[in-house]
Amino acid sequence: MQYQSFLSKRYLKRRWAPWAATLAVALGVFSLLSVLAVMEGFKVEMKERIRGSLSHLVVEGIATRQLVGEDSLLDAARTTPGVEAASPFIETLAIYRSAVLDYCILRGVDPSSEAEVSDFDLYLLSEEEIEQLLADPYMMLPEDRAPPDAARVVEVFSLERRRQLLRSRLRGDDVGFVEEAPPQGLVVGIESLRSGRLAIGDTVQLSSYSPVTFEPRIGKFIIVGAFQSGVYEQDQRWAYSDIRALQQVLDLWDEDAQDMGISGIALRLTDYSQAEEVKQRLYLEISRRMDLPASDEGSIPWRSMEINTWESQRDNLLQAVEIEKRIIAAMMLLIVAFAAAMIFLILMLLVIEKSRDLGVLRALGATRGGVIQLVLTQGMILCISGAVLGLIGGWILTENINEAHDAIYRATGMRLFPPDIYYLERIPAVLRWQDMVLVCAPTLIFGFLGSLFPALWAGRRDPIRALHHE
Amino acid sequence: MNDSQQSLPVLSARGLHREFLLANGQPLEVLRGVDLDIHEAEMVAIVGLSGVGKSTLLHCLGLLDTPSSGQIIYRDDEQVFQSPGLSEAQRCALRNRFIGFVFQFFHLLNDLDVLENVMLPAIVGSSKSQWRKTRHDVEAYARSLLESVGLQGREHQAPGTLSGGERQRVAIARALINRPLLLLCDEPTGNLDSHTSNKLHTLLRELHEQLGTSILVVTHDPDLADRADRRLAMIDGRFEAELNPLG
Ligand SMILES: Nc1ncnc2c1ncn2[C@@H]1O[C@H](COP(=O)(O)OP(=O)(O)O)[C@@H](O)[C@H]1O
Ligand SMILES: [Mg+2]
Repeated sequence: MQYQSFLSKRYLKRRWAPWAATLAVALGVFSLLSVLAVMEGFKVEMKERIRGSLSHLVVEGIATRQLVGEDSLLDAARTTPGVEAASPFIETLAIYRSAVLDYCILRGVDPSSEAEVSDFDLYLLSEEEIEQLLADPYMMLPEDRAPPDAARVVEVFSLERRRQLLRSRLRGDDVGFVEEAPPQGLVVGIESLRSGRLAIGDTVQLSSYSPVTFEPRIGKFIIVGAFQSGVYEQDQRWAYSDIRALQQVLDLWDEDAQDMGISGIALRLTDYSQAEEVKQRLYLEISRRMDLPASDEGSIPWRSMEINTWESQRDNLLQAVEIEKRIIAAMMLLIVAFAAAMIFLILMLLVIEKSRDLGVLRALGATRGGVIQLVLTQGMILCISGAVLGLIGGWILTENINEAHDAIYRATGMRLFPPDIYYLERIPAVLRWQDMVLVCAPTLIFGFLGSLFPALWAGRRDPIRALHHE
Repeated sequence: MNDSQQSLPVLSARGLHREFLLANGQPLEVLRGVDLDIHEAEMVAIVGLSGVGKSTLLHCLGLLDTPSSGQIIYRDDEQVFQSPGLSEAQRCALRNRFIGFVFQFFHLLNDLDVLENVMLPAIVGSSKSQWRKTRHDVEAYARSLLESVGLQGREHQAPGTLSGGERQRVAIARALINRPLLLLCDEPTGNLDSHTSNKLHTLLRELHEQLGTSILVVTHDPDLADRADRRLAMIDGRFEAELNPLG
């Protein structure tokens, strides 16, 4: 192995053309890594945001049927080991009219316990924050906001808040009229305010259907607040109201059970990695209670139900991102394959150029295998140095991707990454070692295969023939 | 010379045949039963017309080519190697240690300097750890060989900047670096002018006497043939007669 490395160094030191292959490998590894890092960053970021507005586990009726026995359900959940908190919710579709007709996904939540199962309290905006966000359409919430306060969720839906909003709304009339029973409160996503369709203090009429009677239902709501979850779709379409108000509006009274219905209960777990076990335990516990006679205290009226993790609820979306990442990686591997093809060509040329040298080496006692190793060594030097360069480059870029982006923006005035489209202010980039392996392993394999053929060919050449020619 | 003929030959070839299959399917018999003994410290010249098979013979003796039939025996102080019957590794080791090659077209490696070219067979023949141990001695010997061939001070010159005669001197030094028992020279001065050739002949003879290496040299040059201990004429694929060295 020693004359091979000695000669390889000599051959590569005196030529610049072979390093073009290294550059190609480096570029391939670099771009592959950068793309994977940004896509992984997106995935992590998106997952985090979706997770924030969902809870770890959800118990719900099959096919959007409702569940009844809220208290017993909550009790069953809260006594199951591994469950930290539980809160009931209703989810339905509603149509409203502002300037135009629009729809929203209406969620009824319990103001006093919703913050225990989701990050709703974190996403709920203060009056000043709403003003700031409306003033700057690109703005995201600063990192150093005031810590979330669960009491604000209760406060935003409170009668006091609704009265106060209505009062300031009516001040212009100067009648001194105060409505004693203001409409129910509605917290909407910031994007529906930004688009100008709704404003704080507006009263809107929501139309939906009762899932029990299938009769059309209409409710009057006043916009009392706004949230920003960071998932554009949710910030545009989702609206939260008090679950009790929504139960009235939708007429969820269940005659059989003599109880108000709910869509389900949302849970937070002490440890999400235990989700499957907790799910099993909870399923058994709820099933057990559903089998109890109605006279029993802890019984739950029987309804078909299912329990899902938040990930399985958003499976399609998360899968889509993962598949997208894989497809892009597979396509970008073509760059690496191209680089390996360059190594192949350059080594072939080198073997042709140096065929006399190889013949001389054989005459001086080099074995066939030795000559094969000599060519392989050169190919692997080119490939490995390319991979290392690409790794370093990819690492530097992912560490400084936003600085690089800012520099491009300053130099050209072009935003390669407009924050409003991706709903991200900074480009997220996460370089995982798995992705590095995913990139480097095929690169080295391709590089090896690209070197192997010229090497075998060099080994098969007849030394006498090579020596005949001057 | 007499005592050298009494000892066992360094190399003996018996009944060497070499056929090439031509493109039209006809066999071409190049070597037709060559018998040859080369004794220790003997210089043998082979003369003959172009195309009679001198190079082919040298390639067979140098283990670069395999004869169609016949036997070659290599002897050093301890061991006897018999071809056919050698493994690829043994053939390579013999090429590396037992035999030194000098070609008509010098065949130096242009990417290495003069000293590295001379050391190349030693580098090829040793493992990394061996090389670390012997490097110093090898380099010293390479420098002394370069001095013997009159190229001291040129160690770090590129071969491309040397004249033909100088290149061939480097090639001779390279062939001698592993202290081979046999030097095979295929028309070493075939590409040089007569004055340069003359000096090279003197050098070869000097080295031969100084180092005691056996030399088999193929040449068209009557001057070089005259300086050999023995002269063999190759006609039609075999040695026709042994000629008187001075006749
Ligand atoms: N690989 C080969 N295939 C076919 N013919 C060959 C081959 N090598 C040599 N020959 C033929 O063998 C003959 C002897 O060649 P060579 O040994 O080179 O002669 P020279 O005595 O001039 O060195 C020539 O006629 C040559 O054409
Ligand atoms: Mg010849």
